[in-house]
Amino acid sequence: MGGEPPIPRGSITCGRATMIVEQASRGGAKFWETGAGKSFASNWAAYFLVLMLIVFGFTGANFLSVTNFQNVIHLQTVPLLLAAAETFVIITGGIDLSVGFVMGLASVGAASLMQIFVAAALPVGWTIGLATAIVLIASVVPGFVSGIVITRFKVPPFIATMGMWGIANGVALKISQGFPMAGLPDKLTSIGNGYLLYVLPGQFVSAFAKPDYFPDSRIRELWRLVPFSLPFIIVAISVLSFALKRGRFGRHTYAIGGNVDAAIRSGISVDRHLVKVYVLSSFLAGLGGVFNVFQTGIGNYTTFNAQYEFFAVAAVVIGGASLMGGKGRIWSSAIGVLVLAFLENGLSISGVQPFYRYIAVGVLLVLAVVIDKLFPDIR
Amino acid sequence: MKKTIIAVLVVLMIALVAMPSFSQQSKLRVLFMPGVSDPFYYTMEKGVRAAATKAGVDLVVAEYPKSWGPDAQVPILQATIARGKFDLLLIAPTSVDALKAPLKAIYDSGTEIITVDTFIGDGDYSKADTDYGFPLSYIGSDNQLGGKQMAEQLAKLVGQKGKVFCEATNPDASSVVDRVKGFTAGVAEFPNMKLVDVEWDMDVQQKAQDQTLAALQKDKDIIGIFGTNVFSAQGSGQAVVNAGLAGAVKICAWDATKDLIGMLKKGQVDLVLAQKPAEMGSLSVEWGVKYLKNKTGVKVPKKVIPGFEFFTKANVDDPKMQQYIYQ
Amino acid sequence: MRSSKSSTAKALTSALSGRWVPVFILLEIVYFCFRSEGFANPNSLQILLFYGVQVFLVATAELFVIITGGIDLSVGYVLGFATVISIKLVAKMMAIGISPPAALLLATIATLAIGVVPGLVNGALVAYLKVPPFIATFSMLGVCHGISELIINGVSAVGLPKLASDIGLGYIFYIVPGSRSSFFVKPEVPRGTAVLQILPNIVIITFVVVALFAFVLARTKFGRHVYALGGNMDAAIRSGIPVKRRILGVYAISSFLASLAGIVYAFMYVSGKADAGAGLLLDAIAAVVIGGASMFGGSGTVWRTMLGALVIAVLDLGLRMSGIPTFDEFILVGVILIFAVVMDRYMQEAS
Repeated sequence: MGGEPPIPRGSITCGRATMIVEQASRGGAKFWETGAGKSFASNWAAYFLVLMLIVFGFTGANFLSVTNFQNVIHLQTVPLLLAAAETFVIITGGIDLSVGFVMGLASVGAASLMQIFVAAALPVGWTIGLATAIVLIASVVPGFVSGIVITRFKVPPFIATMGMWGIANGVALKISQGFPMAGLPDKLTSIGNGYLLYVLPGQFVSAFAKPDYFPDSRIRELWRLVPFSLPFIIVAISVLSFALKRGRFGRHTYAIGGNVDAAIRSGISVDRHLVKVYVLSSFLAGLGGVFNVFQTGIGNYTTFNAQYEFFAVAAVVIGGASLMGGKGRIWSSAIGVLVLAFLENGLSISGVQPFYRYIAVGVLLVLAVVIDKLFPDIR
Repeated sequence: MKKTIIAVLVVLMIALVAMPSFSQQSKLRVLFMPGVSDPFYYTMEKGVRAAATKAGVDLVVAEYPKSWGPDAQVPILQATIARGKFDLLLIAPTSVDALKAPLKAIYDSGTEIITVDTFIGDGDYSKADTDYGFPLSYIGSDNQLGGKQMAEQLAKLVGQKGKVFCEATNPDASSVVDRVKGFTAGVAEFPNMKLVDVEWDMDVQQKAQDQTLAALQKDKDIIGIFGTNVFSAQGSGQAVVNAGLAGAVKICAWDATKDLIGMLKKGQVDLVLAQKPAEMGSLSVEWGVKYLKNKTGVKVPKKVIPGFEFFTKANVDDPKMQQYIYQ
Repeated sequence: MRSSKSSTAKALTSALSGRWVPVFILLEIVYFCFRSEGFANPNSLQILLFYGVQVFLVATAELFVIITGGIDLSVGYVLGFATVISIKLVAKMMAIGISPPAALLLATIATLAIGVVPGLVNGALVAYLKVPPFIATFSMLGVCHGISELIINGVSAVGLPKLASDIGLGYIFYIVPGSRSSFFVKPEVPRGTAVLQILPNIVIITFVVVALFAFVLARTKFGRHVYALGGNMDAAIRSGIPVKRRILGVYAISSFLASLAGIVYAFMYVSGKADAGAGLLLDAIAAVVIGGASMFGGSGTVWRTMLGALVIAVLDLGLRMSGIPTFDEFILVGVILIFAVVMDRYMQEAS
């Protein structure tokens, strides 16, 4: 029995349990020992992304275009937020399965509030602003509840957030009665889908909106640049990344993920911090839900098959975090999201049936973990 | 304590099994089993209720399935049927195959069946020697004809040339499949038009939006879209608006919900087809009750086809047209 | 959690200890009997068992994996995969002239054999490549989903002979009160005659299979090893248990049972979609947890998992029959889930 390495505990809920130490990196080809090799391994997702972009550039017409790239990133705003949320939670060794449905709940909640305000004849600015503010404040509640259930009642995060998953889903369905909520102000989509610049090459450049005199039928000749969502998401990710890397909040998060006992001994109030982490997660999910209303113009409950939370976790793992906790970075998770997004987009534009995407994601994920196992000491 | 609990459990189980089935009522009992939770079926329910009250029969409306499919509908159907003996079942079957056996079992227990909006088998209940000939009648739109007419109307709107795209819902819904068939055949009659793709969004509006957006990205010169029912039409319409292409792409939508009529008025959708769900509902009750009251004397037609109406920007505010909006 | 140790609380706790689940089921049944006119009816029990079959099978599958401290997220899509493959196989066999009964039998065997493969892959990933179960089974979920969709190409799989739904929806005994009775085959009677139907086929099959696996878990060396894996991995290794092979076995069993559930689905609905089993994952895990198994592994029994599944099945049926929209059910299941775990902790600390 001597040489057999210990098999890691299967449970993904080991955050609070003592973990079996993983074996150090196995001997491999010399390349992996070099600086270049290590840099490749730790950033392989980014390299893979670039490779994909190149390949799809050849196989798909219109893939390498400003419009396409903008569209993809624009549509990934919500998944990026969810992945960021999940990053924090996973670093602490836990997991949050409810993010997808909390997002749906926020979307539906914001829409129903706006419907009420529209009926009450509030001016548009107030309708949108007030509903957004209320929902954002309220969206800390699911995370707070999950956090308490996990810390005070010692329910494993997997179960606790799964319970919240069901509750959030049920409440969202009750509010929406099973279908999308419309009747919201049009201003929403012009903000959600607006661009900073509208350019008709050789003729004019207009900011924030296309000029009124420009006929709809010629829309395709316009170039639209920089969707509003782009600065929004860049700011959001930068802030979160900074908080994780430099702030005390981030340091505590890593500490808990690394070794709970050491964290306690160094004076961190672990329970309180964990609650904060889950609150942050659910707040980001709520932010995503609100943004979703701006983007689609309707309140959408999350459908069963959307699997938002699973893809968020996958993105975080592809980005290099470990489900055991202690590792992970926001920008890496963002790259994970982009890898998945461009994979789907590229395959679809190249004419490949989207079903292959499911298979591709599965394989990619396993690859990510295997690489992670080979180099556990990287970052 | 343990023994007491087990004893109570056992007694209850025996009581459950021994209790007799629900006894028969004197009024006729009708069960309405809708297909899925959407405005089309809500409107149908209204027609059913009105006709049921007029005919003086007892009506039970089953729970609306949350998704389209036999695995959502059959358990609800069985559970509700078990509530008591029904004389008539009005159902929108959510699968042409999977519902044959359960419905046959219900038929064998003495309940008459009328399928509304969708059918089992191929919808022709007059054929001999099939395993789906037992329902009294199929009452629904002629979806193939509708699809073809949609193609013709869309062709008119886009000048009879260009690429068009179809956003459909579920290949398991006989009604939708027929619409797509009709539309495809209709487009084929215009040599300068091409149907680039048909996508299935499984009745999820968000998916319809995503698929339409992807299609618009792939084929930059799509100038027309056909959304085959409520969610598909609303989703693709929204996608076009979000892509900033409202006005550049013509959309024709099937099913006149308030949202779609609203979009028509705002110019985000160009053509809306209204079926007559309320009429389907009331016709099914009327024919069913007529038959039940006089089984030998009444011959129920195996197919009853209410027509449809087209809404355009021109007639959307016409007071005579308002009754066809689903509400 | 600090428990207030009043004497009544103590007495109640020790009386109930571990038995709150059957009590809960009882309460549910009583509630729904009042709430819905048709609930207290022999048919209800049959319907309950009918639609409970799939949850029972998938929950058993999940139990084996959870006992070892892992999790299997792919069960829902393995189910869909099995449904789709079995239907396609039967259709192909009948097209080349094989008789329906033979086709059904052969296709079932073939599907079960193929259905073990996803589990073996999962097990291999977990045991040999040290991939965390969450990731490995989530990947398999995607792979099965993709392959199933490719096979059916967007259209539901169809083509089963009538014999299939006769079996899937059929019963073992039929009694026409006052005249005759028969086994397996529904007697030909004039329309409207009442026929008593007893013991659905699929329920018996499920019962046999689940009992078999319960025996394996409780009484065989394999079962003991499975529990040992969940309890303490190091101790298990040191005591000479072939850990990797056991892990492979556990995931293979999970996948096998999920495939069986998929075949049952095919017989019941004669049509198959790739996402046929997607919703079962939550129910299966909930059943296992409500049944008292620990997510860290090492505990849980088939019988208690069945009780857990019953909680949800009764809830499901009762809500349907009372006409209460199923939106509320999600909320209830979520709450019950959390409640279940809290109760178990409370019980543990109280004892």
